[in-house]
This record gives sequence, C-alpha cells and structure tokens, in this order.
Amino acid sequence: MNSFKKQRTKFIVLMLMPATILLVGLTLFPFIVSLILSFTDYSLLRPGQTKFIFLDNYIELMTTDEFWIALRVTVVFTVLAVLLQVIIGVFIANLLHQETHNISFLRTIYLLPLAITPIAATFTFRLMFNPSLGVFNYFMKSLGFPPQAWLASPSTALFSLIVVDTWQWTPFILLICLGGLASLPNEPFEAAKVDGASNWQIFTKITIPMLYPFIGLALLFRSIDAFKTFDIIYVLTSGGPGILTRTLNLYAFKHGIEFLSMGYAGSIAIIMLIITIVVAQIFLRKNNLLKPKDTFKR
Amino acid sequence: MNKLTRRIILYAFAIWSFFPLYWLLNTSFKTSKDALARPPTFIFKPILDNYLDVISNNEVWNYFVDSLIVAMGTTFFGLLIGIPAAYILARFNFKGNADYGFWILSTRMTPPIAMLIPFFIMYLKLGILDTHIGLIIAHVGLNLSIIVWLMRGFYEEIPMEIEEASYVDGSSYFQTFYKIALPLSLPGISAVGIITFLFSWNEFLFALVLGDSVVRTSPVGLYGFVGYQKIYWGQLSASASLLLIPVLFFVFLFQKPLIKGLTLGSFK
Repeated sequence: MNSFKKQRTKFIVLMLMPATILLVGLTLFPFIVSLILSFTDYSLLRPGQTKFIFLDNYIELMTTDEFWIALRVTVVFTVLAVLLQVIIGVFIANLLHQETHNISFLRTIYLLPLAITPIAATFTFRLMFNPSLGVFNYFMKSLGFPPQAWLASPSTALFSLIVVDTWQWTPFILLICLGGLASLPNEPFEAAKVDGASNWQIFTKITIPMLYPFIGLALLFRSIDAFKTFDIIYVLTSGGPGILTRTLNLYAFKHGIEFLSMGYAGSIAIIMLIITIVVAQIFLRKNNLLKPKDTFKR
Repeated sequence: MNKLTRRIILYAFAIWSFFPLYWLLNTSFKTSKDALARPPTFIFKPILDNYLDVISNNEVWNYFVDSLIVAMGTTFFGLLIGIPAAYILARFNFKGNADYGFWILSTRMTPPIAMLIPFFIMYLKLGILDTHIGLIIAHVGLNLSIIVWLMRGFYEEIPMEIEEASYVDGSSYFQTFYKIALPLSLPGISAVGIITFLFSWNEFLFALVLGDSVVRTSPVGLYGFVGYQKIYWGQLSASASLLLIPVLFFVFLFQKPLIKGLTLGSFK
C-alpha cells in the first residue's frame, strides 16, 4: 500500500513538473519585478535616483479621477463585450447544432474572424469606420440615417470598440459551445419533446444548464482576456475621444511606455491582477469549477 | 423557431462574420486611389499589382516561415507540457489541486505591460532575444493556462471506468495515461491545438518586443505596412489575405477532429 502511494505521488510530481518549471520561470520573475517596482518611483528618465516610496503609487492612483474613469471604462467594455459574445455565441451555436445543410461551410466562415491577422482586421475596421470614406457611413446614408463619427464621438466610440471585439471573439465562444452541444446526451432532449416542450423551453431549461460548464470556461477566459484588451483599442481610438475609451491597460501603457514611469505603471498592473484574481475566484467558487468533478478513489 | 427563420439568422451571422474580410479582400485588389475613394467603391477594375508586389517581396515569405515555426513549436511544446498537467488536475485528488489549477489560470491574468520589460531583461541575460525558441517559450507560457484548463475539461468528460479497469489489470499510472487516456483525448487535443496555433500565429505584443529583427512573425511584419505618414493598404490587405490561406488550410484540416473533439462525451 505504501509503495502504491509513493508511486502515485511520484507520478503526480513528474507530470506537473514541466508546466510548473516553465510557469515559475516565466511568471515569477516578472511578477516580483512589477511588485517591487510598484513600491518605487522608478522611471527610465532618471534611473539612478529611484526611491522606495511604499504605497504612494497606490494612494496616488486611488485619488486620481483618471484611474477611476479607466476602471469604469474597462469594466463596462469587458462586461458588455463578453455578455454580447456569450449571448450571440451560445445562440448561434444552438442554431447551427440544429442545422442540416452546409454546416462545415458555415462553421469555416464563422471561424474566419479568429483566423485573420488581427492587425489587418483592425486596420480594415478603421477604414470602414472612417467618417468620410468608410463603408459604414455609406450604408447609413443609403438607409437615410445621418453619418456618424464612429470612433471620434463620445456616444459611439466605446460602442464601436465593443462591436469590433464582438466580431473578433464571438467565434471563440461559439467554438467551445458547439463542441459542448455535440457532447450532450440525447435522452433529455427527446424526453422533453415527447412531453411537448417548446424549442424555447428546451433551450432555456435543458440546453443552457447542461452546456453550463463549457459556457463558464469560455466566459472565464474571454473575460480575463477582454479585461486586458490592448491592440484594438490602441489602433482604433488610442483611448479617445479624450479618455473616454482609455482602459486600465492603456492607462498603464501610457505611463509605462510613453512617460517611462515604470513604478506607477507597475502599480496599475498589480491592481488589475488583484481585481481579476478576486473576480475569478468568486466566479469559479460560485460555479463549482475550481475542483475536479470526480477523481480516482485510490 | 422554424427552419426558414433559423437559416436567415445563420446566414446573416455568416455575412456579419465575413463582411470585414470581404472588405479586406476587396481592398487588396484595388489601386491605392480606389482603396481610399469616397464614396467607397464596390465595383472597380481589379488589379493584381498588390499581390505581385507582395509575392516578389521576400520579406512576406520570411514572416510566413517565422510565424509557422513559432506557431507549430508553440502548439507542440504547449501540448507536450500542458496535457500531463491537465490530466493530473482532472483525475487526482491531491492536496492543493484547486490552488495549483488556479495558480496556472492566474498566469493569464497579468497585464502584458507588467510582463514585457522583465521578459526583455530575462531574455537579454539568457541570450534568447530574437530567436525562434525564445518566442516559442514565451508563447507557450502565455497559452499554457488555456491548454491546461480546456484539456482538463475534456478529461473530465471521459468516463473513468476504462482507466480504472486498466489499473486493475496491473498497468502503471504512466502506461494507463499513455495507452488509454491519451488516445481517448486525441480529438480534444486537436481542438485545443488549433486554438493554441491561432493564438500564437496572431500574437503581436510579445512577438514585437522579443523578436522583430531576425525573427519577425506576420503580425509584426504586417504592422510594417502601417507607416507614420500613410498606411500601405494594398500591401497590408494583400499579405493578410495571402497569410489567411495557410491558416484556413490548417483550420479546415483540423475541423473534423475539432468538432468531434469537442464531442468526446458521446463515448458515455
């Protein structure tokens, strides 16, 4: 029995070893550097005169309106974009699952936004959003609506970014849900049909609850990534107009790369990390996704 | 919902997904004057100059090769390292299982701004700046969390009885993992593999900071067509369209196992 236990421990350690070494090697050092920097006034402009200022960066952050605005923009962007992507992704996955014709054609088309180089796609969106020569305003005019300054107007800038993010990332949710759907057993659906349930009842009462672990995982990864979105916002609005679309990540980038004050940028990064960890812990615990469902009994 | 409504919605979503790419393709056949015409032109005299330009330019070919090496390497090593960890997390109830899993997840949460400069310093000291292996290591690190968590989900879908029977027959843990669990999860592996491939293929920030001169992947290379003064729409759209071909090939090739992969539960 004892050698059994030894063997088991040895197996667990060996299998976890490569991932552990790589992740400790790659993430521990950057994390410690950022953490230490966040307690200093380190700036690349005057590297020799770094002082330890303990919590000053954090206090300054907490008392700056710009930080709270950036936090609000980030939260609004993440929540709305991910919500939209999950709703559309689950809905379309469910429809495609019932479809009988041209499924692989449709699936390939749906995956395209995930496959194209984002830089090219984002600049194409910039061209399409252009107020005077963009195709969106061309459509607006043809339909009799007034043209919009999509990325430059306070009322539409954040909305436009959410549209682009949704275009790019809905396929990710769709992909995971399609697989989840195909893996569900048929019996509950057939039983419900025999009992005369409507399609909508089947969707809300059976499909959604059974698909739940897959949706949860897709939603989690999408939220983590959306919270630190950078490229599309940088290319399309650079945080403008004013600071109305400036997320925490762009705010950190501004201080770190443009103003070269790495200490301040570091403290923004640490705050972002803390927020994500807390939200993810709550989410995973509430949804019972943290622990494995079933494990070997021996 | 009847069949017609369903089809209308599905094809409407296909148009929505395809339209920006249609515009990109459209632009790639336009002269620079047509590309920025107002109002935008749908019908124009198509030209092949942009493609000829890009093809005769060896650089784009190099971006493609670098991207392919990095994305393939990332997919291979990511799966090699991630799958064993995922299997353990799904099957073994050891102390700290949940904490270990969460720690792996948390490596995806650090904003890139906090990682880039320490990474750069680390790579400089190790002498792996601007190398394929350096970029592969970074991309594996960035994507290991998603590989481990998705693969864990797949292993949880495979019924445990087969593996338990194998233990009863006297196989070791490793034999059971290698001979039973691994083949059963093959479809899942291709699913996660394709996601990893796409993430690495399209990653920009780390590829820019840790690569750029010797090793330049396509997102970084394509960014070169965006100048301070003007954007070279023709070259940008033509090379993006060309680079889509190998990715489409990859997606298409792996599509069957991909969807089947996510259907593992049907073994139940």
